[in-house]
Parts: sequence; structure tokens; C-alpha cells
Amino acid sequence: MTTAIQDSRSFAGGVHPPEGKHLTEDRGIEPGPPTKELAVLLSQHIGAPAQATVKKGDVVVAGQQIGECKAFVCAPVHSPAAGKVKDISLLPHAVLGRTLGVIIEAESPAQPVPPSFQRPAGFDPNTYTPERICDAVRNAGIVGMGGAGFPASVKIQPDAKVPKETLIVNGCECEPYITCDYRVMLEWTEQVITGVQLVARACGAKNIYIAIEDNKPKAIERMGDVLQKLGASAGIRVVPLKTKYPQGGERQLIRAVIEKVVPTGGIPPMIGVVVTNVATAAAIADAVVHGRPLTHRVVTVTGWGIARPGNYYVPIGTTVQTLIDHCGGPTGDVAKVVLGGPMMGIAIADLSTPITKTGGAVMVLTEDQIGRDRFEQRQTPCIRCGRCLQACPENLNPTKIAHAVKCNLMDVAESHFISACIECGCCSYVCPANIDLSGYIKTGKIFLARRKKKMPN
Amino acid sequence: MPQDLSISFAPHIRKPLSTQRVMLDVLIGLIPLVAAAGIYFRLRALLLIGVCVVGCAVTEWVSDIIRKKPGSLGDLSAVVTGVILGLSLPPALPFWTAAIGSVIAIGVGKMAFGGLGANVFNPAMVGRAFLTASFGMLMTTWTVPATIDGNLPQVGPENIVDARTQATPLGWSKIAIQDQNGAAIYSARQFLPILTGNIPGSLGETSAIAALLGGAYLLIRRTIDPHIPLAVLLSAFVFAAIAYAVNPDAYVQPFYHLASGALLFGAFFIATDPVTAPLTRRGMWLFGLGVGAITLLIRIVGKYPEGFMFAVLVMNGLTPLIDRLFRRVPVGGKPRVG
Repeated sequence: MTTAIQDSRSFAGGVHPPEGKHLTEDRGIEPGPPTKELAVLLSQHIGAPAQATVKKGDVVVAGQQIGECKAFVCAPVHSPAAGKVKDISLLPHAVLGRTLGVIIEAESPAQPVPPSFQRPAGFDPNTYTPERICDAVRNAGIVGMGGAGFPASVKIQPDAKVPKETLIVNGCECEPYITCDYRVMLEWTEQVITGVQLVARACGAKNIYIAIEDNKPKAIERMGDVLQKLGASAGIRVVPLKTKYPQGGERQLIRAVIEKVVPTGGIPPMIGVVVTNVATAAAIADAVVHGRPLTHRVVTVTGWGIARPGNYYVPIGTTVQTLIDHCGGPTGDVAKVVLGGPMMGIAIADLSTPITKTGGAVMVLTEDQIGRDRFEQRQTPCIRCGRCLQACPENLNPTKIAHAVKCNLMDVAESHFISACIECGCCSYVCPANIDLSGYIKTGKIFLARRKKKMPN
Repeated sequence: MPQDLSISFAPHIRKPLSTQRVMLDVLIGLIPLVAAAGIYFRLRALLLIGVCVVGCAVTEWVSDIIRKKPGSLGDLSAVVTGVILGLSLPPALPFWTAAIGSVIAIGVGKMAFGGLGANVFNPAMVGRAFLTASFGMLMTTWTVPATIDGNLPQVGPENIVDARTQATPLGWSKIAIQDQNGAAIYSARQFLPILTGNIPGSLGETSAIAALLGGAYLLIRRTIDPHIPLAVLLSAFVFAAIAYAVNPDAYVQPFYHLASGALLFGAFFIATDPVTAPLTRRGMWLFGLGVGAITLLIRIVGKYPEGFMFAVLVMNGLTPLIDRLFRRVPVGGKPRVG
């Protein structure tokens, strides 16, 4: 391989949690549990919820649109399987609490099989117009699959005012334990690269980087090899980054790869950068080339509390309970079930919560894995050791902000730039007093949003 | 599947490092100093440290009861304060005096402010300052180490009258400023006892090697940042060097200043107390530079032979202002208003 691997780049701050990827990294993408009943939420993204286009009792086919969008920042929703609409009701959602969703009863309980992606012979992204790519992406309901869930079509459309010159494809997967993106990079390499080329074509980016943490040498090598094979290595560079959390955070990633800083409160397009996740790129390729909507995704089921951890190809709408049962169920005492990784994931209480487009992992954690102090939320006084300051990738003063929030001194919290926090959780992770710093900061942000009337009480 | 799943904010894992572990590391780092005190001042030194530890622990325990708070002895911070206070005392100090110092250190220096993390001043130094002010005579009576033949003083002028007690190296250098005979106070032959600790002085301050060993452990374990010790030693060295350059007859060499007195012990174990030191890196440098400068000012032009305790207390008082001075700005710059 000829892809130049420079010294691994990085950013200041951050932490090194135990990686835990060995549990699932060598497990290929397997078909998930057989589809019986799916709970497809209408709000799986940032922006306005989609409006249901089907009624109770309707018959739907696989890939049929069941939720349309009227707003600009929105994404439609499709049925992953053929069947009947059993109900449209409020369903549990990890962040929103409860939100509308369509319950689909599948006509035949078949195991989902990943469809084969065929890169067209002599594929040339220039044969697709940016409008055509954006339309296909929008119609397929693709959102950022790394976690944020921002509608991809909005992100990738060209901007005349600030040209999107740089495209960074995020293959860092810096969250411990998660390996879904890693497997996608290894197994669906051609599809990812096709997607990258299409995104670059759509937004007009000239500088294209695929950033991968250096704890995934196989993915770095495979990506380089396939780029070479497809003759695309001239325009796309694979950049190995230092393994450090949160390397895959958008702002940290941009700083590491092109040494540019996104202004506080700003977004990457303001400096002409588009960041997209590898799984999103793969979904975009599928949507543009084959016209397939986003109805399935790869989910890592892992943690010390699950019998058979692995990477599964599951239809969106599968409940966490179904997934856990499919993986052999819990072993021993389960303390927490988390949607997402251990650093930023959301603990859920209701196992009927369905998988959404953004949910790359289900973690079944035992008390041992969490640690007793953390589990019991036993906090001791701040000893001002400053470890949170050193760990903060945004150069904030987490202890000052958190204690200001605790005392309801929001002006103090704001004077220490509470809004610049990216909620990565590094401060809470390193705190020897086990203070839930990022928890206080998140709470403070909600206080502020309410005060500014941007959020209901 | 149990239905009583726990819910909390992310992150769901934690670095296995508790306050207790941090304090335990400080205690491990103090072992060489305690051992040196035991070697040079024998059982009495260990008993004196023991009195301070017990005094601090009991005071903390009683304070917790009075304040109706859960017991906080488990975080070991009171033990750390006790050991550091003990190490900062002269070897012959009566036990009851040490006990009073312990009660003041924890009771006034720490618990009156609200316990661990809330105190403004280093508790051990508060206790020691109280003793210095109240029992000046006892606090400046320096016993000769048991390992020294009292008739053959290693440091200081040749003709010693009293074989049991002596001035400390810093005491002699203070006299030397008046007598203009700094070169006679220290000679190359006498540098070795200062390094090993075979000299009169407070229990923990005599041995430079023990302080460096303990400090190295703290740095390797990353219990402390190197910034404060570096800043303290750097500024102390610079000020000592200036004095030496101005008048080498009156003032001793900078290296003697660094190795004697509480500078090394304090730079690694007292000034680095996180509760009473600034949070930011730049703040730590300013704090350390201030501690070194004030210490040397007191040593060179002040009345006392040693000024580390006062330097730390003064800079402790300035810490909130220093934190205010060096406010952290986000990587992306200050957000635009509106």
C-alpha cells in the first residue's frame, strides 16, 4: 500500500479509557434477530419530527415511506419490512422520553440479511449531479449515523457563500467498546468509498480525508488498499489519528486532521468543512446507487453483561429487548443498559425502546464494569486537583462550571463558557471525587435554554 | 432481565482513581521523608508524627460529628495533613504542643471552612503558623540528629558550645549575612550532610534526597503536576543566585538554599496541595514563582531564617485571585455575543 501514513495526529486534552473493543472487533456483521414486530419512531433525527403517512391497518411493503417531512431540517422514515401497521402510538425514546412511532407487524419473521452492494462498473461520481445525490439522500431518510442524527442531505448540499472545500470522513469510533463502524470499514469498504466519492461530488469538496484512529490498523490498511484498487487514492487520503477519546468528536477531528478550529458556537460548514460518519457514507452509497432507503443499520451489542457480544445487521425499530435476547440474554447482574457507548451513551430504563438510525450500540453493563462508586453515584468534595481541566478537549474549566450550576449561578457558568461544552464526559471520567461534572453542565445548559425560552419546562 | 435498571448521566465508566487513592499516593510519597526522620531523630520523630496524625484524625472525626456530616476520615486527607504537619515540626517539640497544632490545623485550618476542598489555606501550615506564633521558643529549638557526634559539628562554625541543640543551616546562613562569612558556613564538605539530612532541622526538611525521592514518586504517579514544584524551585534558585551574585560573602550559594530548609519538601508536598493552589497551569506557575520568591525574600532580608510556611500561606490567600486572572478560554475562542 502506498497511502502515506504520517505520524498520528491528535488534539489537546482528552482521556484514554479502556478500549474494550476486543469483545466484538473480530466478529463479522451477522444478521440480527428475525423481524416480528418493529417500532419505527418518527423522530430519529435532529429537527422536526416526520409526519405519519400510513394509518392503522394499512399494508406496507419493505422500503415504503411511512413518515414524510415538511420542514427543511427533517428526514423521512421508511418501513424496514413488509407487513401491516398495527398501531401508531407514543413509544419510548432514549432522549425525548416518548414520541410518536409506527408499529409494524411483519408478515414473515425473516432474519435480515445485509443486501450486497454492487459498485457499478466504471463508477464515476461525476455522472451524478449534486442535486440528484442530495435528492436521493433526502428521500432515503439518511441522517448522521454517528450519533447526532443531523439530516445528511442538509449537511452535504453545496453552499455558495462558504464553499465546502474539505470533507472529513469520520472512522475514528473513539467511543470505547463500539465496533460497528470498524466492521463497516472492513466489510463494506467499497460501499463506504463510493459513498465518500458521492458526498464529495455533492458538496464539491476537493480535499477528502478518511480519518481512522491508529488502534484500527486493519481498517487503515484495508481502506488504503481498496482506494488503490478502485483508483481513487489520488483524491482521498487515509489519515491515521492518535487513539484518544474524543478523537471522533467533530471539533476535535477537524483540529487533528486539518489543524483548523471551529469557532465556539459555530458549526464545521462555517469554515468550509463537512464531517460525515463512515456508516452514513455507506448508507448514502446504497441510497444513490441502488435507491434503497435507510431502514437497517449495524449495531454493536456489547458489555460485560451480555452472553454473545457481536455486530448485528438489524432493522430500525427492533427493540433493545429483542436484541439482547438474540445475543443470548444477560449474564449475571445487569446494572445498566446503555444506548450508545459508555462515554456518551444514554442509559435507558425501558427495554422496549427501539433502535433508531443513530443508535450504533447497545451496551449491557454490569456493576463491576461501571465501578461501584460510579454506580452508586457516591460523590466526594472537589479537591480542585485540576484533572478535569487537563482532560477537557475544549479547554474549559469543568469544575467551575459544574459548581456554578450546582449553586444555580448561571451567570458564572456562562462567564466560564458553559455553552462551549461538547458533553464528551472526559471531566466526569477522570474526576477522583466522582463528581458528575458533565451531568451538571448538561443540566445547566437545559436551565439556560429554558431561561431563554428555547425549551419548554 | 432485571427491571430495576439504573439510570444516570453519561459517562457510564470511570477512571479507577479516587480521592482516597490520590491521598494514599501522597502518603506513599511521604514514606522516604518519614523514614529519614526516623533515621536521624529516632523513635521520638516517629512518635511526634504519630501524635500529629492521631490529633488530626480525631479532630476531623469530632468535627464531622459536630457538623452532622458523614465521616470523612476515609478519604485520608486528615492523615496527610497530620504527617505533613509532623514533618514540619522540630524534633524536640513536646507532644502536647504538636497535639495543639493538629487541632488547629484540622479544626481551624480545614473544618471551619467546610472540610476537604473548601479550605483557603493549607491546613498543616495553618497549624504550624499557630505553633510558631504561640510557642516561638519551642518551635526554634533544633536538636542535633542522633547520628551526629555532638562534638563534631558537620555544619556551622567549628566551636560549638552546646552539643545537644544547634542552629539549622539556614540559621547559620542568617548569621552569616551579618558576619559577612557565607563562604565559611557552607563548604563542599558540608554539602553532603545537607543532601542526606544529617543536620539539625524540622523532621521532614533535613534530607534533600528523601524529599526528591518522594517527589519523584508523586510525579511518576502523576499525583501532582510538575508545574508548581518547578516554579517554586526555579524562582527560589533565581532569587538566591541574584543575592549570591550581589554579595557572595554574605549570601550562600543558590544550591545550598534549594537543598536546605523546607524548600524541597514543601515544593513537592506542601505547595502542591491541590485544594489551596490554583487550577490552571499558568496560575500554578504564578503561584509557584510567588512561593519561591517570598521564601527567598524572607530568608535573605526577613527576620526569620526560613520563610516557606509564610510564603505558602500568602500565596494560598492569593489563589482565588490567581484563578480569576487566568480564566480558561475555549479552544474555539470566546463566543460572539448574540
